[in-house]
Order: sequence, then structure tokens, then C-alpha cells
Amino acid sequence: MVFTGWDAAAALAKALTYAGTLGAAGAIFFLNYNERLLRAAQRRSIVRSMAMLSVLAALASAAKISLLAASMSDDLAGMFDISFAGMILRAGEGRAAAIRIVGLILCGAALLPGRGWSRLACLGALLAAASFAATGHVHALMPNILPTLIATLHLWCGAFWLGALWPLLRTARDGDHAQVAALAARFGKIAVGIVALLIAAGTLLLWLLLGSLSDLWNSDYGRMLSVKLLLVAALLSAAAVNKLRLTPRVEKGEAAAALHLRRSIKLELILGGLILLLTAAFTTLTGPSA
Amino acid sequence: MLKHMFLGLSLCGLLAAGPCLAHAHLQSSTPADNAQLTEAPKTLSLNFSESAQLAVLKLVSDGKEIAIPLDKTAKPGKAYNLTLPALAPGSYTVQWTAVSADDGHVTKGTFKFSIAG
Repeated sequence: MVFTGWDAAAALAKALTYAGTLGAAGAIFFLNYNERLLRAAQRRSIVRSMAMLSVLAALASAAKISLLAASMSDDLAGMFDISFAGMILRAGEGRAAAIRIVGLILCGAALLPGRGWSRLACLGALLAAASFAATGHVHALMPNILPTLIATLHLWCGAFWLGALWPLLRTARDGDHAQVAALAARFGKIAVGIVALLIAAGTLLLWLLLGSLSDLWNSDYGRMLSVKLLLVAALLSAAAVNKLRLTPRVEKGEAAAALHLRRSIKLELILGGLILLLTAAFTTLTGPSA
Repeated sequence: MLKHMFLGLSLCGLLAAGPCLAHAHLQSSTPADNAQLTEAPKTLSLNFSESAQLAVLKLVSDGKEIAIPLDKTAKPGKAYNLTLPALAPGSYTVQWTAVSADDGHVTKGTFKFSIAG
């Protein structure tokens, strides 16, 4: 595996695109299923940050295309070469970026009051998160309809889980015990099914992308994927501690438990960030059967 | 009934999904890597593992770059045949960069050949 600084920068831009998009989409989902539990000020604060994440995702998407163009020529001039950018856009990145931008713009509907706008924002969140399945290794499988649908499900579940962590942490900081307990309990209850779907879809994708189980340790792609699986296992463990131990204690009104819950959510956020960074790295720098 | 049909079709779809061949890799070239030629080749052929758009092609000899015309607007393909200028005896390095048509990934590589004097 040989890669340049431009390739690494493109992978970093992709990780930021993941974080911004899934963070924005997850916040939209969070606002919808916690509509009655959130105070107006908390909702406004989350919507504003969601809008900033959407802008970050759009900028990072554009940066990734420019950095890939620079990677093609191995110099700064490549960033401004329209023919290089055109090749990347025609090869699927343009389709994915267009879906993402439309989705992120629709997410902005959450800034407006009313249930209709919030439904539109939900549609935008689903589109934005699904955009990553419109290109890449899974999309390159033939026929690709079912694999793309599985990748879309995987992305929606990932957005629900990882994207809910930052609004959950924000409300855990300024909410009272009863509210924090109610939010954590509601998230935990829905997350059980979502995480099961996430793992099922992820396992199917692994089966489709890897030639054999030994690819997990015999190829660069597989080794990086193995590290991702370890990080996912750590994230699942932290989530289980939150749901089974910390949330019940917060519900009982234990002050120390609320502090531990915040720390645990921070740990989940760090692990989630590492997972996105690693996913961006191995999908940009390597490929299955490479 | 419909449920069973959907499950059956889903399974068929999954099983029928072909292997993912990763990014576009150079499978073969003419001249081949490390080829020692007795006369200068008139064309350069590149065969990729999957459909790709050839973005950069450099032919370097003694630190000097020899221009090879490349149509950057051409449709992606698995095989490329390019006309070479008259080459003098010496060692040559070919540097290529391609974009996979299916997944948009950028791949690069180099290979060498020499022409005896």
C-alpha cells in the first residue's frame, strides 16, 4: 500500500464528510423521536449545530474531490485541474455528492417550525446518510441493487447511533436528571433494534466484499477492517454499559451516575470518530481483494 | 406468499452479486514491466482489471519527460493503446494514474522497460 500526503488528506476530508453528514442526519432523527422530551432552547441549539455540521459536510465533500484531483497529479496544480475533477465526478462521486447536498439542504428544513418541515428534514437526513452508498466498493458489485440497499441500511443505522451521541451529550450537560434519564432510556430502547440491524447489515457487507475470512488478516483492507471491528466491539461495550448500568442509575437520581454517563458518551464519541476515520482510510487508500 | 418471494429474490440477489475487484489495477502492459527490447516500440498498451479512466501517463527517461498525447475526455475502458513517439535506446519509466469507473477510486503505478542500443 503506497500513498501520498494528498491521499491521506483526501481520506481525512472523507472522514469529515462522514462525521458532518452522519452527525447532522443523526441529530434530525434524535430531534424527531425526542420531540416531546426536549425543551425549546435545547432543540434550537441542536438545530443550529446540525446546520453547521451540514455545512461542514458539504465543504468536506468538495475538499475531498479537490484533494483526490491533487492526488492524481501529486501536486497542488491538480486541485484546480477541471479535467481531473470531472473524471472523479463522472466515476460516481458526483452522483453521491449531489444526493448528499440535496439531503443536507433538506435537513435545513428543521430550522423551520412545524411538523411538515421536520418530516422533510427527516427525508433529507435519510438521503444524506444514504449518499455514501451511491459510490464505492459496494456500489461496484454487480448486480449492485441489493448490496447498495444493505449499505444504505447500514448507513442509516450508523447515523441513528453515532449521530445521536452529540445531541445526547449536549442535553446530558444541561438537562435535569429526569430529562437525561428519559432521553438516555428512549435512545437505549430504540438503539437495541437499530444496532442489531447495523450489525446484520455490516456482516452481510463483509461477506459480500471479502473473498474469504482470511482476507481479514492477509490484506491491507482486511487488517484495517479488523481494527474497525475491534473498535465497533469496544463501542458496543460502552453502549451496553450506558444502557444496562448507567441509565438505570441516572433514573434513580444518582448524581455520580450522570457524570459517568457523560464520560461514557464522550468515550463513545471518540470511538465513533476513530471508526469513521478508519473507514475513510481503508475505503480511500485500499480496496477489497487489492 | 409475497413475503417468501421477496426473501427468495433477496437471497438470489445476494448470492448473484459478483466479487468486488477493488480498484482498477494494471493487469498487463506492452511493453511489459522490466521488458528488454531490441527495437523501439511504436505503441504502449495498458490493460486494467476493471473499466478505468486513464488520467495521467508519463514516460520518463534520464529524468526527462516524453509527452504522450492522452484524451482526458475519452470514455473509461479496460484497455488503452497509445501511440509512442520515436524512442531512442535507453531506460524508460512509465507512470500512470487511473480512476476506477465503477467506484471512483484513484490508483497509480509505474513500470519500466529498456531499449538496447
